[in-house]
Amino acid sequence: MAAELAYLRPTTLSEAVSFLETVAGAQPVAGATDVYVGIRSGKHAPAALVSLKAIPALGHLTPDSPTDAYEGKAEGGTADLGVLIGGVVTHGAVEDSEWMRRHFPAVHQACSGVGSRQVRNVATLGGNICNAAPCADSAVGLLLYDATLILAGPAGERELPLSDFFVGPGETRLQPAEILKEIRVPAPGPRTFAHYWKHTRRKGVELPLLGVGARLTLAADGTVEVARISLGVCAPMPTRSREAEQVLEGKKLTAELVKEAGEVAAAHALVRDTWRGRGWYRREMVRVLVPRVIGLSGALS
Amino acid sequence: MKTITFKVNGAPVTVDVREDWNLLKVLNEKLELTGAKEGCGAGECGACTVIVDGVAVASCLYPACEAEGREVETAEGLVLANGGELTELQKAFVACGAVQCGFCTPGMIMSAKALLDHNPAPTAQEVKVALAGNICRCTGYHQIVEAVLAAAEEMRK
Ligand SMILES: Cc1cc2nc3c(=O)[nH]c(=O)nc-3n(C[C@H](O)[C@H](O)[C@H](O)COP(=O)(O)OP(=O)(O)OC[C@H]3O[C@@H](n4cnc5c(N)ncnc54)[C@H](O)[C@@H]3O)c2cc1C
Ligand code: FES
Ligand code: FES
Repeated sequence: MAAELAYLRPTTLSEAVSFLETVAGAQPVAGATDVYVGIRSGKHAPAALVSLKAIPALGHLTPDSPTDAYEGKAEGGTADLGVLIGGVVTHGAVEDSEWMRRHFPAVHQACSGVGSRQVRNVATLGGNICNAAPCADSAVGLLLYDATLILAGPAGERELPLSDFFVGPGETRLQPAEILKEIRVPAPGPRTFAHYWKHTRRKGVELPLLGVGARLTLAADGTVEVARISLGVCAPMPTRSREAEQVLEGKKLTAELVKEAGEVAAAHALVRDTWRGRGWYRREMVRVLVPRVIGLSGALS
Repeated sequence: MKTITFKVNGAPVTVDVREDWNLLKVLNEKLELTGAKEGCGAGECGACTVIVDGVAVASCLYPACEAEGREVETAEGLVLANGGELTELQKAFVACGAVQCGFCTPGMIMSAKALLDHNPAPTAQEVKVALAGNICRCTGYHQIVEAVLAAAEEMRK
């Protein structure tokens, strides 16, 4: 680190936005687990960091309506309420939330698998999304639930679906001086089943070779009303396999149908070779894991 | 430069820090608390683990300025808060042979303390998850997990 970096700690969102607008070379920082690693390796050299951690309005993790009616309501695979996740909520907070575990199991699984406890205690879902790595675990989990992002910037606030947010590795639709204020996850509705599988060599502190998520919301007669299949490290950004989703939607789940979804997802996956794994292996594992993850969600039983 | 004030092991401290420093550097170089160590400097090894506001963090990735107003606990504080005696957790590490070269030990102890502060009766699996971010190249981990479970049992008595 050559020139001394300035570390700013605004306490309101508008102050943070105005720092980002007026301080040359300023970048937002939350848990710093990507930012500090990037600075250390020489990948980034921001002139100033604008910490979002002291802004109380970004710290909430709450059901999307001010009621505790959800208590005891959602048994098994159902959920009646969505959730609002503030821009600096940590993976550890989600991991510790019994409510997230019960209602959004795939997000809970994705968040609980990020790094180590030390990393999860500071690393935020907002940082995971804005860092836009193709392997971003919590982003792949959130894609399953049609999450949207509230972005706050100099021109006010706007809402964008998470699935439209990513442009490429490390590239997003964030405008200059814009801050991810909140992640909104709508209620998935009753008879929802979901699971996230992080495919790794080791059991802990490892980025995924592949991330595979599935969420199925069934009609009363068992027909698949909504299918979401999300993939990490299968494209330049976290993605949904819309082709596999189409295979599943409007049909009754059978072992053959689920197998077909895996084949279609594998055929369309934009896998490539990296030092962590070869493309052919990733494609083969998408074919294997999509049916397995649907099985683990409990939707087939 | 910035002046920050926070608590370390119960006592308030005020120090001048460079704004690009991490908390580890402040502890090691300004406060001469050398328990937390730099292994990797990138969040991977856990040798720098300290507790901030009740949770374990990698102090190598923790911006120094972010410590403002917070409570930091380091391995040095354990004996201080225990009337000059080793705590049950530290005694269990010694008794179980969970320390060899000792480089990882302060980080291991702080991760284990953060776990036991929240969960006084962890399973072996919960201990492994809590310590997954702490690398030890000597012991093979078995004795460390054993020590944490033994300490938990002793502390519940
Ligand atoms: C040891 C280690 C293990 C890891 N393991 C995993 C893993 O298993 N899976 C995984 O997905 N990731 C992993 N990571 C990467 C990292 O921890 C995550 O991406 C994390 O979620 C980043 O969050 P943060 O709060 O630390 O972000 P920061 O580092 O603070 O920020 C990341 C980026 O997002 C921007 N940003 C942050 N918050 C906002 C906001 N609210 N609005 C606008 N921009 C914002 C920053 O400017 C920066 O560009 C690991 C990192 C380490 C060091
Ligand atoms: S030195 Fe901080 S995790 Fe390795
Ligand atoms: S005792 Fe040597 S690294 Fe753990």
